[in-house]
Amino acid sequence: MAFFEQEIHDAPTTFLSKYVFSFDHKVIAKQFLWYGIAFLGIGGMMALLIRWTLAFPGEPFPVIGPMLFPHTGGVVPPDTYAMLFTLHGTIMIFFAITPILIGAFGNYCIPLLIGARDMVFPTLNMLSFWLAFVSAVLLLASLFTPLGGAAGGWTSYPTLSTLIGSAGVGQTLWCLSLFVLGVSSTMGAVNYIATIITLRAPGMGYFDMPLTIWGLWLTAILNAIFLPVLGAGLLLLTFDRVFGTTFFLAGAAATSGSGDPVLFQHVFWIFGHPEVYILILPAWGIVSDLLSFFARKPAFGAKATALAMTSITILSTLVYGHHMYSTQMSPLLTQSFMMLTMTISIPSAVFFANWLGTLWKGAIRFQTPMLFSLGVVFVFGLGGLTGLYLATVSTDLYLHDTYFVVGHFHYTMAASVLLGGFAATYFWFPKMFGRMMNETLGKWHFWISMIGLNGIFMGMMIIGHAGMHRRIYNPFVYEFLQNLIPLNMFITISALTMGAAQLFFVYNFVYSMFKGPIATQNPWEVGTLEWTIPSPAPHYNFKEVPVVKCGPHEFGNPNLSGKDFQYQTEELVRA
Amino acid sequence: MAQAQAHNIAQAKEGDKVISTIAMIVTLVSFGMLFLTLMMGFAIYRFTAPVWPPAGMEKPSLLLPTISTLVIVLSSIIYMSFEKNVVKGMADKRGLTWTLILGVAFMVSQFLFWNQLKSHGIFVSSGIFASIIYAFTWIHAAHIVAGLGLLVWLYSALKTADSMTAVKVANVGKFWHFLGIVWIIMFVTIFVL
Repeated sequence: MAFFEQEIHDAPTTFLSKYVFSFDHKVIAKQFLWYGIAFLGIGGMMALLIRWTLAFPGEPFPVIGPMLFPHTGGVVPPDTYAMLFTLHGTIMIFFAITPILIGAFGNYCIPLLIGARDMVFPTLNMLSFWLAFVSAVLLLASLFTPLGGAAGGWTSYPTLSTLIGSAGVGQTLWCLSLFVLGVSSTMGAVNYIATIITLRAPGMGYFDMPLTIWGLWLTAILNAIFLPVLGAGLLLLTFDRVFGTTFFLAGAAATSGSGDPVLFQHVFWIFGHPEVYILILPAWGIVSDLLSFFARKPAFGAKATALAMTSITILSTLVYGHHMYSTQMSPLLTQSFMMLTMTISIPSAVFFANWLGTLWKGAIRFQTPMLFSLGVVFVFGLGGLTGLYLATVSTDLYLHDTYFVVGHFHYTMAASVLLGGFAATYFWFPKMFGRMMNETLGKWHFWISMIGLNGIFMGMMIIGHAGMHRRIYNPFVYEFLQNLIPLNMFITISALTMGAAQLFFVYNFVYSMFKGPIATQNPWEVGTLEWTIPSPAPHYNFKEVPVVKCGPHEFGNPNLSGKDFQYQTEELVRA
Repeated sequence: MAQAQAHNIAQAKEGDKVISTIAMIVTLVSFGMLFLTLMMGFAIYRFTAPVWPPAGMEKPSLLLPTISTLVIVLSSIIYMSFEKNVVKGMADKRGLTWTLILGVAFMVSQFLFWNQLKSHGIFVSSGIFASIIYAFTWIHAAHIVAGLGLLVWLYSALKTADSMTAVKVANVGKFWHFLGIVWIIMFVTIFVL
């Protein structure tokens, strides 16, 4: 039950209050969307530079190579290569996927889908975006420091990330940037948690919330709990770099007590493993809803799906050690972590089965958001299954630090989350901008992306299984890897294909924003609360706060006549 | 109509109270995790070291840390009685003023402590033990500064006393007591044991 009704605020009048320093969750959502898409482009370009180097070692990157690296004639230099994969990972995880799924769709969906007029703390919301902006400035500024950006990997393990491994200011700025971003995300988490608890429309119990909200809520809880863990690690790393503390410096033992580089790994993964779920839970929630919406069937076992997501959230806090099997961890501990990690398969299987149950005998509408949702089901299935090999100590010891790991986590974290983000973008675009995106271009975008990303990540798993190590500038100096050059070329061509597919999206997005057909109030014929108000949503969202009378997935009720769905504000039709 | 409006306002005030309390609890969980991580790090250094403090390093004198502890405990006790007075509707700000004074005194004791370490030739870069003492107390002190900011803010919040005042006082209290608890844990584990 809602605790209270927020008053309708006056509409902003100036350009600054409307578009720049806006308190409106929908505008902040769009700001996060632009931010995320811009970084998706930057991170994607870095990925192409990495892939080019691996497929065509020593050859200049076409067109922009000579501009970026004039002193090598356009060839990516080795030190820059380390910086590229470090920043590619950092940017994609923290500056692209997080802002799109949590910043943009969290902000956009939470008030609209629970029947609220805004977040509980609109000012905090605005500050959260601008802090994220400051964080981005810090990260990008690091590229222009004398020794360039951070180059210790996205995990920034010491000693690579201490002054011994990275002497420049770039790594310090990386630490500060992520710390500031962590503060921004924690502010968002406080807002999301409080909003969902207190501003749900009258009648909306927790199990009447769309699964999208469940995903975002659990994400916010994980953020509030685990971002400070990374924050502590980053603070200590910054102190090591700036003030000369010795937290992560091995070898200081000889003089006055030892630091411990592996401690940072513990701290990083205590945060880092829940982070996987921080990213993926919103995508799971969105996909769980969209599969039901476009299969025109109630979400199969919706309560079980919500509870499975909750179980995974809890379990995600207990399994971080599986990232560290190769760090001389006690065999007893590795076994415990293996057990716990495997346990995650159970709730994962529950909601995966529920997804299939939702699709079973559904009257599926293969519109673009549905295609992307089905894409998530496919790639997440592959990502989840390949995770079992890495959760198992014996196979992980062989596969660790090979491209198999890269393929696996790109399937789970990159591919499924990215496809989930696209599904959400195509789905809520009409409510955001009042216009429809082009379906044909959307489908081209989907199919070419699917071909591209499967080419990339399946290829990575094969070369990883064949023993190709990650992070090496030119792995082909090792004779046994030379026969993998053609496969690497295939992966790179797939990456270029994937990159080219995004041009369909960018064109479609920008064109549709201005020239797309005008959207009706409820173009997808869905019953959740945001579709009961005009498109685009007015600044106050709901003139009258809605009263919720049924769940979000009431489709195909045989007692209904004239339409196959019900709004959540309608009494459930019974015989 | 007027009755419905009055009902809405009452509901909104009730909502504000719940929201600010939830927000403060979530914030404290976040800060709690930050300090918990630091303490986990300390535990690892402490239990994996062959001798503690590491060779060549002596534990600093307990005098100033003990004074800091007494000061922060006293400030919490005084704040609690101030909080009780606010709940009773008594507009007595002396408790708040004393909490603020003791908070500043805590910061002064920290500066004196850092100065003492420096005069004994213990610098932040003097090894893991010194790193822990300096870094952890810095991070705690940064939170104390934020806490002092909140105490100062309470003065203006008390000027326009309404039904939210008690909630604001309670939430600032949660933050202040939390910092006291963190300090006591740090005092016992790092300085005493």
